[in-house]
Amino acid sequence: MSINEKTHWREKELSYDQVIDKYPDIPPILALKIDVSRRGIAYTDAAFAKVDSNKHHVEPFNYMIGHGKQISPIGLFLRDGSVICQGHQEVYDWTYRDPYILDVVDDKLVIVDNDRIFEEAKFWEKPDFYDKYTSNGTPMREIASARPQRLTIAPATKCHFWDVPKEGCKYCALFSAHRSANDEGDIRDDKWFSDVTETVEEALKQKGRYASFHMTAGSTLSGKEIFDDEVDLYIKTLKAAERVIDAKKFPVKLVASAFSKKQLQRMYEETAITTYTTDLEVLNKNLFGWVCPGKNRLVGYDEWKHRLYDAVEIFGRGNVDCGIVGGVETAQPNGFEDEQEALNNVLTEAEEIASHGVSFADCVWNTLPGAIFMKQKTPSLEYYVQLALGLAEVRRKNGLYIYTDDYRRCGNHPNTDLARID
Amino acid sequence: MVKINDELKQILDEPDTLKVLAVNNREGVPHVVFKGTLHAEDNQFVFYDLLQSSEINKNLVNTIWFEKKLAINILSKDRRSFHIVGTPVKSVTAGKYFESVYENIQERFGRDTDLNAIWYIEPEQIQEVSFAYRQAEQREKFPILAHLDQITRRDDDDE
Repeated sequence: MSINEKTHWREKELSYDQVIDKYPDIPPILALKIDVSRRGIAYTDAAFAKVDSNKHHVEPFNYMIGHGKQISPIGLFLRDGSVICQGHQEVYDWTYRDPYILDVVDDKLVIVDNDRIFEEAKFWEKPDFYDKYTSNGTPMREIASARPQRLTIAPATKCHFWDVPKEGCKYCALFSAHRSANDEGDIRDDKWFSDVTETVEEALKQKGRYASFHMTAGSTLSGKEIFDDEVDLYIKTLKAAERVIDAKKFPVKLVASAFSKKQLQRMYEETAITTYTTDLEVLNKNLFGWVCPGKNRLVGYDEWKHRLYDAVEIFGRGNVDCGIVGGVETAQPNGFEDEQEALNNVLTEAEEIASHGVSFADCVWNTLPGAIFMKQKTPSLEYYVQLALGLAEVRRKNGLYIYTDDYRRCGNHPNTDLARID
Repeated sequence: MVKINDELKQILDEPDTLKVLAVNNREGVPHVVFKGTLHAEDNQFVFYDLLQSSEINKNLVNTIWFEKKLAINILSKDRRSFHIVGTPVKSVTAGKYFESVYENIQERFGRDTDLNAIWYIEPEQIQEVSFAYRQAEQREKFPILAHLDQITRRDDDDE
């Protein structure tokens, strides 16, 4: 029995074509990207046969469990220059909707649903540094990762909100291999920082590849003040990178915990960062407490918002970004049951926060193994399309830029893709 | 799809040729720019956009997203002009080929020059619109479209 026969999900929500007709401001190719992000994409054997690990970007480390047993490229290019940040996704018993299919037709990779070809796609290409080693003998692919135009370093692979069982964010599958209380994640000693310098130096030999340096990690709660040790780790990592980057201010995209004003001031003064992102994840105080219990207990929704506003004072309007997991506000049993009510709630709160100079980056919530919410049902395509259009309008209305998290420097946010035409 | 002939490809490659691209923005307002890097590859027009924040880039994204058309005009050194209507079909923003063009752009224009995107445009209509060509065409097809004083007898007309 197919998933649709089991859940009849196609009869319960507007189809892709109906959504395109109803919302003429959404580019069809972006609606497809949203839908692929929402439903996932499963590769056929023919698509897997096209994977060349010497040429295409496959990840040696499974940050996001969900690829199953096969090594999969981690993303796709579309013909408008945008990307889909998703590899092959396994279908499980609890999967609510059929994933899209990545197949091969006339020797081309194509995205297919219900036997209809939607778009041609290409695999992301492997970074040149991936097969190289540092002078310490460390594979550089263990030090940094990449997207097509972004170099990423994850200084900490353990999110300590998970130290208290079930206090991590319920939608999150990141670093899910490092969640036990006695697992401290990977060690960051002097050797590692030296490896960072060498890896960044090597990566930047690939001219034209990277437009952004991205750092993110699991939250580190320790220190005199909460997150002090996380701040130290980011500063040390940035200084290791700054040994080979000439510019006084280079385009760093830092996605981190909600630092205090004192910590932010320190980051700004001691490093080259020009923008800062910290994620409220769900724009509703009550749901924040349920979805992100660790963040709520140790920082709190109002204080997290306050810290975003403090960051605007340091970095300036439009240089502070707030990530959200779009759609998670409909998770049950505590989330909104009515999509329109959820949307109104999110956009009203977004408007208030944006009026303080904060931009938004909307991730499409997808249920992945490793997340507490892995068996939840995500909202309709219509919901995600309205959310992307609504958040884009909030940003426009408040005169904010989002280059730090745009289609080139990130690529995983439908609302910031829409900024390409502003 | 119409064919880009060899003569036009040659004109495009001549350094003195002017190449103009006209693309509407999302409100439908036309925006016109000169694009020196415009050339032909196979049967597509290709050019390099150097600035991500450029008006032309935003308008091209809007055009490819909503399947709209754009116009190109090419003016050769000897004043021959060609009007082209086309559709952007692909924008390459990363990858090995992008990187090779990036390096080429830096060699040509200096190390501080960036590359935003390589745009591919499929032609739907190519028409010579040089004045002499169009004038002859109009006289042939629509002789009525002229002021009468042009056909009055003149002193220097042969008897």
